[in-house]
Amino acid sequence: MFWQQLINGITLGSTYALIALGYTMVYGIIQLINFAHGEIYMIGAFVGVIAVAVFKINIFLALFMAMAVCIIIGVSVERIAYKPLRRSTRLAPLISAIGVSIFLQTLMTVLAGPQAVGFPQVVDDQLYHIGSVTVSKVQLIILILAGVMMIGLQLIVKYVKIGKAMRAASEDYDTASLMGINVNRVISFTFAIGSSLAAAGGVMVGMYFNSIHPLMGVMAGLKAFCAAVLGGIGSIPGAMLGGLFLGIAEVTGVAIGYGGYRDAIAFTLLILVLLFKPTGLLGRPIQRKV
Amino acid sequence: MVNKKLIALLTVLIFSLVALAGCGSSDSGGKQQTKADDAIKIGFLGAKTGGHASYGLETLKGMKMAAEDINAGGGILGKEVVIVEDDHGSKNSEASTVTDKLINNNKVVAIVGDPTTGLTKIAAPIAQDNQVVLLSAGAVGTGVVEIGDFIFRDTLLDALAAPAVTKYCTEELGWKKVALVTSINNDYSVGLSKIFKDALNKYGVEIVTEQQIKDGDTNFSAQVTNLTGKEFDGIVFTGYYTEGGLFMKEVRKQGMKQVLVGGDGLLSPVLWEMGEAAVEGSMVYTGFAPDTKTDNAKTKGFIDKYQSANDNKLPDMFSAQGYDAVMLIADAIKNAQSTDPKVFRDSLAQTKDWQGVTGTITIRENREPIKSPVYLLEVAPTGDGGSREWTIKAAIPVTAD
Repeated sequence: MFWQQLINGITLGSTYALIALGYTMVYGIIQLINFAHGEIYMIGAFVGVIAVAVFKINIFLALFMAMAVCIIIGVSVERIAYKPLRRSTRLAPLISAIGVSIFLQTLMTVLAGPQAVGFPQVVDDQLYHIGSVTVSKVQLIILILAGVMMIGLQLIVKYVKIGKAMRAASEDYDTASLMGINVNRVISFTFAIGSSLAAAGGVMVGMYFNSIHPLMGVMAGLKAFCAAVLGGIGSIPGAMLGGLFLGIAEVTGVAIGYGGYRDAIAFTLLILVLLFKPTGLLGRPIQRKV
Repeated sequence: MVNKKLIALLTVLIFSLVALAGCGSSDSGGKQQTKADDAIKIGFLGAKTGGHASYGLETLKGMKMAAEDINAGGGILGKEVVIVEDDHGSKNSEASTVTDKLINNNKVVAIVGDPTTGLTKIAAPIAQDNQVVLLSAGAVGTGVVEIGDFIFRDTLLDALAAPAVTKYCTEELGWKKVALVTSINNDYSVGLSKIFKDALNKYGVEIVTEQQIKDGDTNFSAQVTNLTGKEFDGIVFTGYYTEGGLFMKEVRKQGMKQVLVGGDGLLSPVLWEMGEAAVEGSMVYTGFAPDTKTDNAKTKGFIDKYQSANDNKLPDMFSAQGYDAVMLIADAIKNAQSTDPKVFRDSLAQTKDWQGVTGTITIRENREPIKSPVYLLEVAPTGDGGSREWTIKAAIPVTAD
């Protein structure tokens, strides 16, 4: 039972981690908490459903489609709602993000209706028994895909030129641009990667839990934001760790009989971590410039 | 200058509109006054627009059918029955206004409605103060009839239905152990779980595990894993259809074969849209099911008539209960030989073994009905390519303790 619940937790956690990565990267570079990120995840799930249910497209192709559509949306949101506000107060883009979030929720509610939509059965749900633990094919697919994406992201950030530019921009935005880095391109790229990961998370969650609805991004977005802060906002490994940590904690809470408190668990953890380690689990200590 | 002229013009326009409106209302008031002498007015309190419009519209359809049937048979006490309809638009704030209007402007002798518990509770004190009979054809929550001795309802109560269903599951299906699932942010679910718990205790069924979920959750893997390795015969699920379908899907995913039983909160096709094959065999109880093979002539007549008037669509619980509500009031007026609510209230309260389209109704001392039978519906595949439907598994008799 323990191992079974651990797998449930890791599966849930890896979807949180995928969304959390988007928060963390955007925050790392432009210090903006992109509250519309949860909605990108929701739209990704809807694109996945439409591709699979209406156009009968293979699930992996549908995943790429969702990622592509969300890259376009994510980058356009940045261009329309955040870029013009880049030189204004920190609060302005935050409010703008909340506005975009509500706009996208409402738009999807009008387009798709307020009811939850079932996600069609795309993968025949084979069960694998390893000792006393049962793992479903969908769970394996989610774990493997999430793992591959996170490792891929880490490689991009470490070794590819645009990744280095991202790190430079997150270190010091103004200096980076003085050094000849096209910061606007870096920011667009960050939004593109973050949005595509969120879209992938959305499709996987739809595939795993079989239900999507226009407001699904609200709670998932908040939880992923929690995960990002837990791990240390701005840190990519931190977002992954925070996501997994949160997923496992939530499932543990439910497993010992506190199913009603599952959302409260996430936010209580957030408060506790912030109280004892304000920079998050893997966050760098705040350096004062002298 | 132009502005001043415009304002003057507008003022004149508004005044004339007000005057016209005034004429209109006094006109219709006069008409109603004369009509009141030769008609018995029954008011409809419900929504024709807004969130619960589907409940209200169906209730109204049933009420109108009842009035037609009564009038075709010569009316009551030589007078015809008129349904006065209004619309509160599913808004709490409008419910009291509409109730007040029905009583004081339209002079109804009785009100049928509201189909929901919350709005009935808003309207009931007004009806009680004015000593007009209010019969809710849908409110199942607590604290309704307690408001006063003019407040009735004709719906099957969970407090009677759930024990009857529990009895059926133990005696006919041989259930001895169950898992109980409650949605803790859903008032209905929490209340129904309490009722089920008492009933399960009474019939000696062991609850092997209790799991909590929340409305809006989509991930039930942890709760379902808690069920694995435990032995039980069925799942008592007290929440709504979306979560019910998803929960069962997870149950099948984790390799369990049990089915679910629950209240009419699960009664929606969304149950199998979410759960697909996983909910086949699952059972839901309801106060009325359009059983076309019934041997009850009244029910059969109602179903046929409804179908012929509504493109062959089958009636639902609300239209049937709306029909019965008007018929109950009409019979009470007939028995009391009076259209005064203060008089026919007593004969309504003494209704015993009354045959309606939704079953046999007896009004108990607390003005709540015992209604028999309760229908247990089962999700079954229709055979044509993965679609599903409700089939009637059993009609369980209900008795009061």
